[in-house]
Amino acid sequence: MLECRGVSKTYRLKDRDVAALRNFDLALPPGSFTVLVGPSGCGKTTALRLLAGLETPTNGTISRSAGDARVGYVFQEPRLMPWLSVARNVGFALEGRMAKPEIAKRVADILDVIGLHDFANARPDQLSGGMASRAGLARALVTKPELLLLDEPFAALDAMTRRRLQSELVALWQRFRPTIVFVTHDIEEAVLLGDDVCLMENGVIAERFANPIARPRDPTDPAIVALRRAIIAGFEAGEARKTRTPKETTI
Amino acid sequence: MKRRFAAMPIWPLVAAIIVAVWAAGVALTGVSRALLPSPALVADAAHELIADGVLAKHVRVSVVRLAWGFALSTLLALIVAFAFARVALLRRIVEPPLEFLRQIPPLAMIPLLILWLGIGEAQKIGIITLACFFPIFLGTTGGIAQCDPKLIEVGRVSGLSPGEILQRIVLPSALPSVVIGLRIALGQGWRALVGAELVASSAGLGYMIEDAQNLARTDIVVVGVIVIGALGLATDFLFRRAIAAAWPWVRVEHGAETHA
Repeated sequence: MLECRGVSKTYRLKDRDVAALRNFDLALPPGSFTVLVGPSGCGKTTALRLLAGLETPTNGTISRSAGDARVGYVFQEPRLMPWLSVARNVGFALEGRMAKPEIAKRVADILDVIGLHDFANARPDQLSGGMASRAGLARALVTKPELLLLDEPFAALDAMTRRRLQSELVALWQRFRPTIVFVTHDIEEAVLLGDDVCLMENGVIAERFANPIARPRDPTDPAIVALRRAIIAGFEAGEARKTRTPKETTI
Repeated sequence: MKRRFAAMPIWPLVAAIIVAVWAAGVALTGVSRALLPSPALVADAAHELIADGVLAKHVRVSVVRLAWGFALSTLLALIVAFAFARVALLRRIVEPPLEFLRQIPPLAMIPLLILWLGIGEAQKIGIITLACFFPIFLGTTGGIAQCDPKLIEVGRVSGLSPGEILQRIVLPSALPSVVIGLRIALGQGWRALVGAELVASSAGLGYMIEDAQNLARTDIVVVGVIVIGALGLATDFLFRRAIAAAWPWVRVEHGAETHA
C-alpha cells in the first residue's frame, strides 16, 4: 500500500511561493492502475516526482509499504544515455547489482516483451521516437518494479504508436501486476488506461472517477464516452470555480 | 567522375603550391640563404639530419617529454575536476588560487621552475604539465557542469549513489568536452615544450632550433619548424582516431555539415 497524507509541495520562485501540490491525499492498493489527469501546471507531475522520491514534500507524509520497494519511473522523454547501447540503457539500473549473465537474460526477456529484440545493440540516436519510448519503458520494467510511475510517456508520439504502446502497457500490467500511477493531460488516454481516474486542478485532486469498464477498451464505447464527458464536465466546473476565486495558486 | 574528384584530399595540392611559391620567391628575390633557405636546401638539411640520426634523437626526447607532461596533467586535471564535483567546499578553497595560477603563462614560470626543479627533465615536464593542465581541467569541469540534469534523475530513480551517478552518468556525458580539452592541451603542450627547450636544454626540437640559430643554420631551423608542425598534426590525427575508436558517440570530426 502506498499512501500520501496531507502532502503539499511549495516551490520558491523568485520572491513568491508557488504551491504545486496542496493537501494531496492518495491511497494506492497493490496492483492498482491509477491515472492522474489534468491540465499543465495542475501538480500531476509534482505528485509523481514526490512518489518517486525525486522531490521531498514540504508538508505531509508519503509512506510506502515493503511491497513497493522497487520503483520504475518512465519520464516524459525517453532520457536514454546516448553513449550506451539500447541493451545497456535498459539494464542500466541492474548493472553492478547482479551478475552479468543474469542482467543479460533479464534485458533480453524485456526487449522481447517490448518488441525491441532486434535493436539491442543499436545506439539511442538510431531509434525512432516510438522505439526510444519503448526503451525507456523497458528500462523501468527490467527491475520488475512493484510501483511503476509514468509521466506522460506517450505524449510526444503519433496517435497510432501511442495506441499500440497503451495496449502494450495494459498487457504488461495484467501480466506483472505492478501498482501503476500514470500521469497524462489526455482525458481519452486516462479513461482507456486507468481503473481509477483522478482529475487534478490547482494542486489538489478535484474529483475521482472509478472506471470499472472491462478491457480491452474501445474509445468509441458509449460507457467510455460517457466517462470522458463526466471528466470534462468536472474539469469545466473547476474552471468556473477558478474564475470566481482568482490568484488561488499563490499563497 | 566529379564525385570521385570531390572525395580526393586536397591537402597534398595545397602543400605543393606553398612549396612552389616558396621556391619561386627565393629564386626570384635572391634572398640570402641565412634569411630564408630554398626548399631544396631545407630538404638537404633534413636528409642530413635524418641520415645521422640527429633528428630522430631530438624528436624522441621531445615526444617523451610531451607524453610525460600530458599524461601527468591529464591525471591531475581529472582528479581535481572530479574532486571539485564531489566536494563543494574543496572547490571553494582551491578554485581561487587555481584561477590565479591559470592567468600566468607557463613560460613565465620557467625561471622559478629552474630554481625549484633544476634544469633537467623534471623542469621541462613541469612546464608541459602546467601548460596542459588548464585546458583539460576547464574542459572537464565544463563537461561536468553541462551534464543534463534529466539524465542524473534517471540515475536517481535507478537507485544509484552520488558516486555511481558521477561515474556512470556525469563522466561519460562530460567526455566530449574532456576530449576538446585534451586536444587543446596537446597543442598547448607542444608550444610550451619547444619554449622550455629553447632555455637551458641540450636536446629536443627546441634545442635543435636554438642551436641551429646560433650556428646561422637557418635551413635546420626551418626543418625544426616543419617537423614540429607535422608532429603536432600527426598527434592530433592519431588522437582523434583513438577517440573515435574508443568512444564512437563523441564527435571529433565535423559533426553536422555547417558549411555548404
